[in-house]
Amino acid sequence: MRLETRKLLDKSFSGLGLFAILIMSGALLVILAPIFKRGAEALFFEGTVEHRRMLLDKFERGNRAVLEEEIARVKAVRQPIYDILDRFEDEQTHKLNEIIRACEDLGNSEGSFGKRIKRRLNRLERAETFYDRLKIVRDISLRAEKYNGPVADLKHKAKVITELVSQLETQKEPFFQLKEILHELLGPAPGEDLPVLIRKQYGQSRWDRAQVKLHLFFNVETWDYSDPSKMGQLSYTPRVEQFRGTVLEELFPYVEQNQKELLEPRWTFYWGFLTDKSMDAHMFGGIMPEVLGTVYLTLGAIIFSVPIGIIAAIYLTEYTRGGYMVSFLRSCISTLAGVPSIVFGLFGLAFFINTVQVSSSKSVLAGSLTLALLVLPTIIRASEEAIKAVPQTYKSAALSLGAGKWHTVLTVVLPSALPGILTGIVISMGRAAGETAPIIFTAAVSVMGALYNPIEALSHPTYALSWNIFNLSTEHEAVDEIRHVQFGMVMVLVMIVLLLNLTAIIVRARISKKLQT
Amino acid sequence: MMNKYKKILSGLVMGLIGSTTIVSAEEIALDGSTTVGPIAKAFAEYYMAKSPDVNVTVSESGSGNGAKSLMNGVCDIASMSRFMKSSEFKAAAEKGIMPVAHAVAMDGLPVLVHPSNPVSDLTVEQVRKIYMGEINNWSQVGGPDREIVVVSRDTNSGTYETFYGLIMTHEVDGKKVKEKIMNGAEYVGSNGAVRQRVQNTLSAIGYAGLGFVDRSVKALNINGVYPDRGTVASGKYPIARPLYFFTDGYPKLGSHVYSFVTIHLTEEGQEIVEDIGFVPVTQY
Repeated sequence: MRLETRKLLDKSFSGLGLFAILIMSGALLVILAPIFKRGAEALFFEGTVEHRRMLLDKFERGNRAVLEEEIARVKAVRQPIYDILDRFEDEQTHKLNEIIRACEDLGNSEGSFGKRIKRRLNRLERAETFYDRLKIVRDISLRAEKYNGPVADLKHKAKVITELVSQLETQKEPFFQLKEILHELLGPAPGEDLPVLIRKQYGQSRWDRAQVKLHLFFNVETWDYSDPSKMGQLSYTPRVEQFRGTVLEELFPYVEQNQKELLEPRWTFYWGFLTDKSMDAHMFGGIMPEVLGTVYLTLGAIIFSVPIGIIAAIYLTEYTRGGYMVSFLRSCISTLAGVPSIVFGLFGLAFFINTVQVSSSKSVLAGSLTLALLVLPTIIRASEEAIKAVPQTYKSAALSLGAGKWHTVLTVVLPSALPGILTGIVISMGRAAGETAPIIFTAAVSVMGALYNPIEALSHPTYALSWNIFNLSTEHEAVDEIRHVQFGMVMVLVMIVLLLNLTAIIVRARISKKLQT
Repeated sequence: MMNKYKKILSGLVMGLIGSTTIVSAEEIALDGSTTVGPIAKAFAEYYMAKSPDVNVTVSESGSGNGAKSLMNGVCDIASMSRFMKSSEFKAAAEKGIMPVAHAVAMDGLPVLVHPSNPVSDLTVEQVRKIYMGEINNWSQVGGPDREIVVVSRDTNSGTYETFYGLIMTHEVDGKKVKEKIMNGAEYVGSNGAVRQRVQNTLSAIGYAGLGFVDRSVKALNINGVYPDRGTVASGKYPIARPLYFFTDGYPKLGSHVYSFVTIHLTEEGQEIVEDIGFVPVTQY
């Protein structure tokens, strides 16, 4: 081969390598960048007055005096909204009263027809709500339309009444929806009973979510299905159209002008996301219990697996003389490394909880033991490789100085293999922190009460980041409201794993340096 | 050098111990249905806020697993979205456990499609045929020319059992016939996953608990009835069922388990059930 060709081949090969690395880092960026960007939104966001109110109520954080002033200010801005709603209801009642008067008019007509109308009108006294009364009036007008007596324009009058009634009725559903959206946006109206569910006690705590609700407030989502051979088209019509000609018309421009004053959004750094417990299934609050649970499970897994793993590795490398038995053992360990993690989870449930009964139900202990089994092969293989890499001369020197085998392993082999072993351990920690399947049946729950110290936690179930991310994204009933929590959790989990890997690198570098000197 | 690490490490451990208070709380463990999950979680938080000396844990691993956990004695309350099967009763009785049902809420199973789908009415017959694979294009039920993507819950879930019992089982000439769900159907593991699949797939059809319906999916009228509080409570909506808590025997009166399985009878409990999107069993 000519020199030029060789050089060219060489260059193209290194070019290919560079390309592969570029693609890999690109992929990493594509995966990590959105996680960090959206995860950061759980910590940095424009918090509204509702967020600050929640913090003060539930976590007793924030300046009460300042907040009270703020609440008073916001309340003053919101009051006109509720005034308009009240006026609308008054207007409706007024309209209904007019209709009732018209019905009474009908009732004054002669004969059995008038009596029948009057009897129905009497029911009005017992009717409790506006809509109950509306229903009675509709019955009357529908009955009156069937009238075929001598009075000339009675039928016509009845038709007019039905018309008016149906006008009121068509506004019932839109008005309920409007109130519902206002509740979601601003929280309970003044004078309303405090709801039991915490998510209903406050309005939107984040400005980005509030904007979504505001959009829904101003617009009605309608789907156009006019052509059944195609999928429908989404269009937005202004909500104000539903209330043309009523006092509610004033409401929309008012809210539009005072959007910010209604909620007073302000950039917030919510560090409590990392130190608070969740409120009402993650609607508010933070993820501290999840982080703590992940730490417990990971530490537990390492405490159980490391001693066994290292001892097994020492035995396999230093004490056996090869043979079928050892290669069989080795292939068993490799197989164990390839077993799907859900199998470990089910084994953990069947063995640790149902058979051995290390705890009465799910617990950190059972979860850690299961995770320990999962990471054991990795630790054994890493330790084995590290021990094998210790130069034979070290061992020979120790033995020639009169040290016993055990002594040599303990004082010479293990310290020099330590960087490799530690790397294996820390990588396993990353794996244990991120695994979901093994802890579904053995440790993780979606809600629990108190947090425990490490010793007590052993016999109790726990939250865990990996499981709760899965739980939120698949099983939470209002997942679209709390995407930021989900991304925040993912970010924290990724950061924990990255931090562990970083520690591995640093520790390894330090120890190697120490060994060299 | 090592000393510094030791200090940091011991500091961390002490911090962990110090940050958590030691509580010796009574425990109530719940396991089971993902459909009942939102109710169970909200009840748990409500109950713990009221009696702080009780620790309620909730896991969601499916109705079948809930029943198994109750039999194995690893949970106090099994939340289930279907009634216990006779085989489960038998297995429980053999282990000396007597399951008692507490219906905590009513739930309809809305049949869900993408909101852009022009179809908004189906009959039970049509839904069954779609899940059997006999109807495989939306144009056959008055929609656009698109192949139907059938999404079902996993067979371990009570939601599946309910759907199977009420839709896939029917009478032909006086005999009960159980139809098979088509081979190409997608099985997903939770209500949320069904909703996610449907909201992202234009031509999908799925079913989930009433509490999981939001603006991103469209619930269909079944036999002309729209699933909502009124139609589910009155039984007009054809695919409805109660949601249960099962305990081992009736809980001792005055115990925490007793208070917990009767939350749904209190006014607050009913409000929670309703606000989450399910139907209270009692009227107030």
